[in-house]
Amino acid sequence: MDSSSSFTPPSEGGAEECFLARVALPCLVAPLALPTPAVAHASDRGHVLLLPTGYYLIGGAFAVAVSFLVLALLPAAALDRFCRRRLPLFTLGDSARTAISLISFAGFAILVAAGLFGSRDPLSNPLPLVIWTLLWAGITLLQGVFGDLWSWLNPWVGPWRLVSRLVGTGDEAPWRLPGWLGCWPAVILFLAFAWFELVDPAPDDPARLACAAGLYWLLTFLAMLAFGYRGWSRSGEFLTIFFSMVARFAPAERDENGWLALCWPAAQLLAAEPLPPGGIAFLLLALSSVSFDGLSKTFFWLGLFGVNPLEFPGRTAVIGSGSLGLVLTFAMLTAVFLLAVWLGQRLAGGGPPLGQAAGLLVWSIVSIALAYHVAHYLTALLVDGQYALASLSDPFALGWNLFGTADLQVEAGIVAGAESAWWLWNIQAGAIILGHVLAVLVAHGFAWRLHPQPGRAALSQFPLTLLMIAYTVFGLWLLATPTVG
Amino acid sequence: MADKNGFFDLSKTTLTRRTALKGLAAGAGLAVAPGFVRYSQAQSSAPIKIGFQSHRTGIGAAYGRWYEKTTAAAVKAINAAGGINGRQIEVIIEDDGTDPGRGAEVVGKFATQHKTDIVFGTLFSHVVIGSAPAAGENKMPYFVVSEGHHVASTKLNRYVFQPGITDVKSQIQSMAPWIAANAGKKVTQIFPDFAFGYDHRDYLPPALKAQGAEVIAQIAIPPTESSFTKYFPQIPPETEVIYHVMVGPAVLTFVKELGEFYGSNLPQLFGFMDSLEATDINSPGLEFLDGSHFWEGSPRYAQADDSAAQKAYRAAVGIDDNGAAVGDPKDVSTASHMFGCWETLYVVKKAMEDAGYKGPEDRAKLVEATEALTAFAEGPEHPQGPKTFNGKIHQCFGIQNISKVEGGKLKVVHKTKIEDGLYEPEGDYTTQAL
Repeated sequence: MDSSSSFTPPSEGGAEECFLARVALPCLVAPLALPTPAVAHASDRGHVLLLPTGYYLIGGAFAVAVSFLVLALLPAAALDRFCRRRLPLFTLGDSARTAISLISFAGFAILVAAGLFGSRDPLSNPLPLVIWTLLWAGITLLQGVFGDLWSWLNPWVGPWRLVSRLVGTGDEAPWRLPGWLGCWPAVILFLAFAWFELVDPAPDDPARLACAAGLYWLLTFLAMLAFGYRGWSRSGEFLTIFFSMVARFAPAERDENGWLALCWPAAQLLAAEPLPPGGIAFLLLALSSVSFDGLSKTFFWLGLFGVNPLEFPGRTAVIGSGSLGLVLTFAMLTAVFLLAVWLGQRLAGGGPPLGQAAGLLVWSIVSIALAYHVAHYLTALLVDGQYALASLSDPFALGWNLFGTADLQVEAGIVAGAESAWWLWNIQAGAIILGHVLAVLVAHGFAWRLHPQPGRAALSQFPLTLLMIAYTVFGLWLLATPTVG
Repeated sequence: MADKNGFFDLSKTTLTRRTALKGLAAGAGLAVAPGFVRYSQAQSSAPIKIGFQSHRTGIGAAYGRWYEKTTAAAVKAINAAGGINGRQIEVIIEDDGTDPGRGAEVVGKFATQHKTDIVFGTLFSHVVIGSAPAAGENKMPYFVVSEGHHVASTKLNRYVFQPGITDVKSQIQSMAPWIAANAGKKVTQIFPDFAFGYDHRDYLPPALKAQGAEVIAQIAIPPTESSFTKYFPQIPPETEVIYHVMVGPAVLTFVKELGEFYGSNLPQLFGFMDSLEATDINSPGLEFLDGSHFWEGSPRYAQADDSAAQKAYRAAVGIDDNGAAVGDPKDVSTASHMFGCWETLYVVKKAMEDAGYKGPEDRAKLVEATEALTAFAEGPEHPQGPKTFNGKIHQCFGIQNISKVEGGKLKVVHKTKIEDGLYEPEGDYTTQAL
């Protein structure tokens, strides 16, 4: 793990593109002229509606509040000692990084080809299943558990090393990015990615995704040749930045010398340096976008725009409200977060400037973002993950069976019915609550750094804890309220 | 590859579901490439290309999955038996996202990019209505499996057909004789306050009146509602039958609250299986449905008197006796609707054979041949039951099932007659130019 720069990824990146040109698509389709018997599925959310979710909302809020009180009474040194504990394992060299990345790149190229020439069915073509399910949903969780696997798996570092050696530039980049740019390019690209995932009418369409992902790879590669691998990974390659941030949650740490050690989950976050404004925005966007993913499907949100959820008119009909909502959620979360930090600083009677305090405290968002990720992508991982395994055996729909999984019977029933709904709800609710409790803990660790006096540190955390409690309730409500699909 | 009983023996073929459905993907790109002569030299051996407009994502995805399974099973059976006019079927799936906007786009792609012979398989009515103009503009025969009245209303166009599933107007009308004779004469309707509910609101009262019964109250529930107890006092005390067609995630809550409201004095309940498609009838909250009745297009549960054709169909699609996926008992099927995919493909086969269909240049002939069809006999190709077809309104009419919830299963207690669901045609597509 690279800790030389707080938000700096240790290495590499992933796949996607903008499609902003398509934002101009019509915002609303004309109301349909004929009666339309649409038959909305009762769906598994129906089972959740019968569960006593209200108690979970209250219990979740209570758990977060209690963790704040416990931490307020805990001596700072005890937590610090706890978080610094490491169990060294072994040294893990860098030698295979280029080779693994080159294999990853080859796999990516095959997937893009499959997107262009394979099946048109998004549940048979491996590209959308790998990008959205295995990469975006799956790798994020693996990063949170095992650490920065992406620094090995990303499809750029290998090709970049190869090409830069061939043209003789080595690790020296021809140009340097201006310092003021920070990681704002990554913020913009991540916003485009989130828009494509959540608002674009057809992010699963294999050819459309192949164009987007292929183009993103190419532009990123060119940017890396121009500004250096590390230069662009720090400021523009949003997947690398996102994944390396998430990896700081993992209970596995690899230091600069390659030593791998076990630590407590989220403990690495406490060693982080303050994020610059772009980094703050990036992390808040990571959380707000996955929050909006949930919000946009609720009857509440659709009701605001007069959309009948039982006859949902499709994504082409809600591009306008979706774009607005994505930006609005980010703006609101940023405003509330900064307000909470500012109020905390006021309550504590000063301390470091707002930017520094916010730059440190925002790291606590990582565990919440990860919890939201678990909660929102769990069912997709369980079902679409099976489709992904089947599709990988026959990427071009030519009747191949490369890994013996081509005829795998996809068991959609794994997430169906009242019993599954109970299990899924409890796992999701548990993740949301645990994520917020850990966020309170991390924020406390930083509060002691910002305010060495324990009383002030606790006071400074009061507004942020209120925000965490509110976000816990919001997160649980998103999982409990009626939704489309 | 039919066995001695005339049923398809799928065990004697090596054609897998995958090869049946995935085949053409890459070929679709190659077909437009210069020098692609494989099929142009041998038109007769080229596959029939069916564009499957599928709800792979979006709110129709649960239906889409089962429509895909049924379609795959039918294609496998047809191909195993020699295909259509000696040509194999290849299906190209395009996801419409259950989105009318994308639906039209997908029909356009089938016409211009994939150059399919027909487009098939759409369920959600708003997608059908959104896509129909594109089918008309591209002169692309468009066979939907939607149950909406939109096709039969003759407000779409000459290229749109619904030959595999009865429309909702006919379904509702055919329920009236049984309700009036067996459940009660005074009916209160509870329905969601949008188009789906309006069909039931508008078509049931005249049908009941003709049977000497009446609708005494109509309660429209806002689509976003998730708690229903406050509406129940509107149900008149003299109500003998509550006719309910709620849909969406709050259905379980609706049934639970209705049961709790009435306790042991619950009037007769009559519903449409649309409310509980792909949902286990034994789910918590649905206990109050015991003894109530439902419309079913095709029975979810295997029945004691199932025909050999019905048994063969269920085995081919892969549903067990409880109507769930074989090997995955929690994956409950959409049995009331998905049979329409199977039957529609056999109608397409029949019409293509009648038309001597050779390729896209014969699409107009295919339309006329489909319009000339009049009846489909019950059997392996039409396991749900016999049907008549009205070529002027492009709509088929079949029998419907009324099933009673009994011991945690649905038992068919009545099958309607085709005549119960017939109504005066509202127009004539055949007068439109091809």
